[in-house]
Amino acid sequence: MSENKLYPGLNLGDGHAEAHEQAESTVFGFWVFLMSDLIIFGILFASYASYLDPIGIAGGPGPSDLFDIKSVAIQTGFLLFGGVAYGGVSLAVKYEHGRGKVIAWLLVCALLGAGFLFFEVKDFITQAGKGGVPQASGWLSSYWLLVGLHGFHVFSGILWILTSVAQIAFRGLDDVVKVRLSMLGVFWHFLDLIWVGIFSFVFLVPLA
Amino acid sequence: MTKPNTGELSPEQGAREEIKSYAVGFVASLLLTAGAFVAVLSDLPSTIAIVLICVAALLQIITHLRNFLHLSFSGNQSREDLLLVLFSAALLTIMAGGTWYIMSDLSARMHGTPGTSAMPHDAANH
Repeated sequence: MSENKLYPGLNLGDGHAEAHEQAESTVFGFWVFLMSDLIIFGILFASYASYLDPIGIAGGPGPSDLFDIKSVAIQTGFLLFGGVAYGGVSLAVKYEHGRGKVIAWLLVCALLGAGFLFFEVKDFITQAGKGGVPQASGWLSSYWLLVGLHGFHVFSGILWILTSVAQIAFRGLDDVVKVRLSMLGVFWHFLDLIWVGIFSFVFLVPLA
Repeated sequence: MTKPNTGELSPEQGAREEIKSYAVGFVASLLLTAGAFVAVLSDLPSTIAIVLICVAALLQIITHLRNFLHLSFSGNQSREDLLLVLFSAALLTIMAGGTWYIMSDLSARMHGTPGTSAMPHDAANH
């Protein structure tokens, strides 16, 4: 019955019959949440683009004063590697490589996510030091809100990864935990996808 | 590669296919990201650089959806999930694209000098 119904995200497959069927509806519900999140990000992208003109910048510091393309590249690298590392988690769960490997891959993801956050916060502090605070202009308000919201998502993702590690350590890899890991994977990859939009449209387009 | 999330292959074969799918997605993302950064750092006219960045972003988003989030149009993807994603994408296009279009058009009409384009990012570099 379940073999014809594949849900988005890495399917656990029929080898995990119980978890596979449970995942179908649970992961679908999580996708509904993510799509609403996508709409929020999309609207923030639209307001950022609308403020990106001399009137929106309102005489405050502009993109070429504040953005450091090298740091953006480093953050992009951290998040891309972190996203791909979750592939290790998904495959280790699906092909039952054991708890140790799943936890190891999860920690790799969390570390890369933390590296991303470190550089992002460092940039925020430098920008605030140059007068690029949210209240300086409409453009900066939308910038801080959009990029800050994404950073907050990454921070929540790291907390979620750490609680998952604790769950695997204490409960083991049972069906409930497997379904939760599927959702975490969708969340983590989704953050990477939003970042593609951020580094392209928020940072690179104004600098081009 | 064609059906990254079917469970019909033998486990070892399936694992190899899936690792391959992640690797392809990773390499494609890396190249597209590098391309976008190179477009900015090069001396290309900014309109061309912006078009290149947008194309690279679109391709990379498709790569992420396909290789990392395992969404596909072919095969036996469940119908509701695909409809959900497509519906959200349509909503987003209308709301975000519409907002941007209306605001930039308004900006050009209210503040633009005759002859300048309605593209807000051209003005941002002055």
